Amino acid sequence: MNILEAHHVSKSYAQHRALNDVSISIPKQSIFGLLGPNGAGKTTLIRIINQIIMSDEGNVLINGEKLNPSHVKIIGYLPEERGLYKKMKVGEQLMYLAQLKGLSSGEARIRIKKWLEKLELTEWAGKKVEDLSKGMAQKIQFIATVLHEPKLLILDEPFSGFDPVNANLIKDEILELREKGATVIFSTHRMESVEQLCENIAMINKSQKILDGTKKEIKDSYRSDKYNVQYKGKISELSGDFQLLETKNIEDDMFEATIQAKAGLNPNDLLRELINKTEVHSFIELIPSINDIFISIVEGGKKS
Amino acid sequence: MNQIFLVLKREYMTRVKKKSFLLATLLTPLILPSIIFVIVYFGTRDKKSNQDDIIVLDQSGYFTDTFNESGYAFEYMTGSLEDGKAAMAEKEAFGLIFIPPVDLEDKAKTSYDGFAFYSKTNPSFRVLQDFEKTISTKLEDVKLQKSGLDQEVLKSLDARVSLESFNLTDEGEESKSNAGLSYAIGYGTGFLIYIFIFVYGSQIMQSVLDEKTSRIVEVIVSSVRPFQLMMGKVLGVGAVGFTQLLIWIVLIGGLSTVGVSLLGGGSQEVMDAMAQGQSADLTQGQEMAMKIQELIATIPVGKILFSFLFFFLGAYFLYGALYAAVGSAVDSIQDAQQFMLPIVLPILAAIMSMFFVLEDPNGGLAVTLSMIPFTSPIIMMARIPFGVPDWQLALSMILLVVGFVGTIWLAGRIYRIGILMYGVKVNWKIIAKWFTMKV
Repeated sequence: MNILEAHHVSKSYAQHRALNDVSISIPKQSIFGLLGPNGAGKTTLIRIINQIIMSDEGNVLINGEKLNPSHVKIIGYLPEERGLYKKMKVGEQLMYLAQLKGLSSGEARIRIKKWLEKLELTEWAGKKVEDLSKGMAQKIQFIATVLHEPKLLILDEPFSGFDPVNANLIKDEILELREKGATVIFSTHRMESVEQLCENIAMINKSQKILDGTKKEIKDSYRSDKYNVQYKGKISELSGDFQLLETKNIEDDMFEATIQAKAGLNPNDLLRELINKTEVHSFIELIPSINDIFISIVEGGKKS
Repeated sequence: MNQIFLVLKREYMTRVKKKSFLLATLLTPLILPSIIFVIVYFGTRDKKSNQDDIIVLDQSGYFTDTFNESGYAFEYMTGSLEDGKAAMAEKEAFGLIFIPPVDLEDKAKTSYDGFAFYSKTNPSFRVLQDFEKTISTKLEDVKLQKSGLDQEVLKSLDARVSLESFNLTDEGEESKSNAGLSYAIGYGTGFLIYIFIFVYGSQIMQSVLDEKTSRIVEVIVSSVRPFQLMMGKVLGVGAVGFTQLLIWIVLIGGLSTVGVSLLGGGSQEVMDAMAQGQSADLTQGQEMAMKIQELIATIPVGKILFSFLFFFLGAYFLYGALYAAVGSAVDSIQDAQQFMLPIVLPILAAIMSMFFVLEDPNGGLAVTLSMIPFTSPIIMMARIPFGVPDWQLALSMILLVVGFVGTIWLAGRIYRIGILMYGVKVNWKIIAKWFTMKV
């Protein structure tokens, strides 16, 4: 069951086409990476999902229903451009934002207390936001995003501007929320920052979706069958299934090599071949990062 | 609706809880009358305390003990102008009035010159006028006597007339009108609307800008429609202004009741006295209090108050929405200046035309401007105390409602796009494009 499906969504501004026929589906309780460079159209798609703007064409379904105002309450949105009322007290601010999401004041009070305790911010509840450090303000911002226990959490560039300690803390909180049933969309141009977290990925470039699927599928389909091997003693010759692309003497009789295997062979085939000829010290399959895949698609697209 | 209310509540509470609001609300009704009181107090006190010496050098022989202007002590002498100047220096007098010999025998002569006033510092214009008048009155008296006319006969020739004005309704009822009071009320209420548009309009703009520059607006519009956010803001800030106004009305009403009764020693007493026609027994203060109450009874307080609140709110919605639109379009208050002109211009036009309207409250200019929604709140308030036909009032109100619904709609279309645009160099063309843009 998909919590969110977007079908053929398009959106244009005056002369500029921000989204062109983009379709994605996001399974429930998954972590979904919406990837692409700046200006690709990620924020436009997110704003459409949040009903801040409307698509020109196509439609978006949440839990199988057409997007409608009641969905606002099940989405938690942390925009890339974020901030808080500087002159407002932390507690009042969270209360206001929670009530806008439809929480009663009584329920909101309990949850605010719980979250402030969890992130060790209780004593700051009566302080104005302008008196907080940047890291604390970021935590408050995160609390405001999740207070209403959203089923769908949309985080636009979540880790930009967060210091490493807070970034880790927030990452843990996000994983915990997922365990409790939330679905998470990460939107980012820094693909390495979310690569380990995401199970599903869609890539957007120049208003168009250029790739999507599970991370595993994508990586598998972009396997280059290249291996990095460190070994002792020179390799004189390999069978025809393998090709030495590059060798390098590290020290004395230690060497490092990049080996290309024929498509369809598995790592054990190469290992077996190597064990007979040399002493293997390390053996790594060179799997392209999402970032590499993205670059290769974009550059491939340019050439064609 | 609930969302609008939440936004409204936040805008209202954050403002009302500020100390500056409390101070401005409580002190303004106290400070304004205090300033007037202080001015009046010193104005009257000045004359009595400084008994400046003035020497009257009279070469005509007609002026003995003629001058009695308060605030001055007069000393009369004869001799040459040089003697007078010497005496002035010696006695450290403030001034010297020089009266040359006057020939009053020639009946054909009506203008005399050679009079002069010498003083160490420039005398006020009013003092000079007073002296001039005293001199000419004295000479007229002397000439009268010389002409053989009796003072008594002359007095009996007086015919004083006072023109009382009444408003006659269609039903033939008549009510006493008072142009001076109408002028004051018209001017006061019109001016108050003018001030409020500026003060609270720029508060709305500031509030929109704050949300935009602090970047919280995208979080907010993911829960609230931009139009709801804008309306909540306009209503919330408006409610603050309305609260302030009500407190002022109550405070000023209370204070002036206290003031009037202090003057008259209890309004009930005055009323009783009025009923029994014992005005002769009343003190001067009581008489004044009675006059004030009589005046207040002549103006349609209910109608004015209702119209004032209506036009006040109408003007506020109309301009408040426009201020919100400007705030949404720009990134800083400096950038806002270029878009302020079309908002400020009609307000300034209204406040400047107000003086002409007060002179001729039923003239063509007055009627026209009191129909146009951008100027009608100020101009209609200036007209109402003088009496406005009901159909004109009703038409003006309907047009104002149409006007503010229109500007709110227009502002909403700009606002919904503007709040999400950062770092755009905005000009009129871009704003026009936002207006037609789909969301």
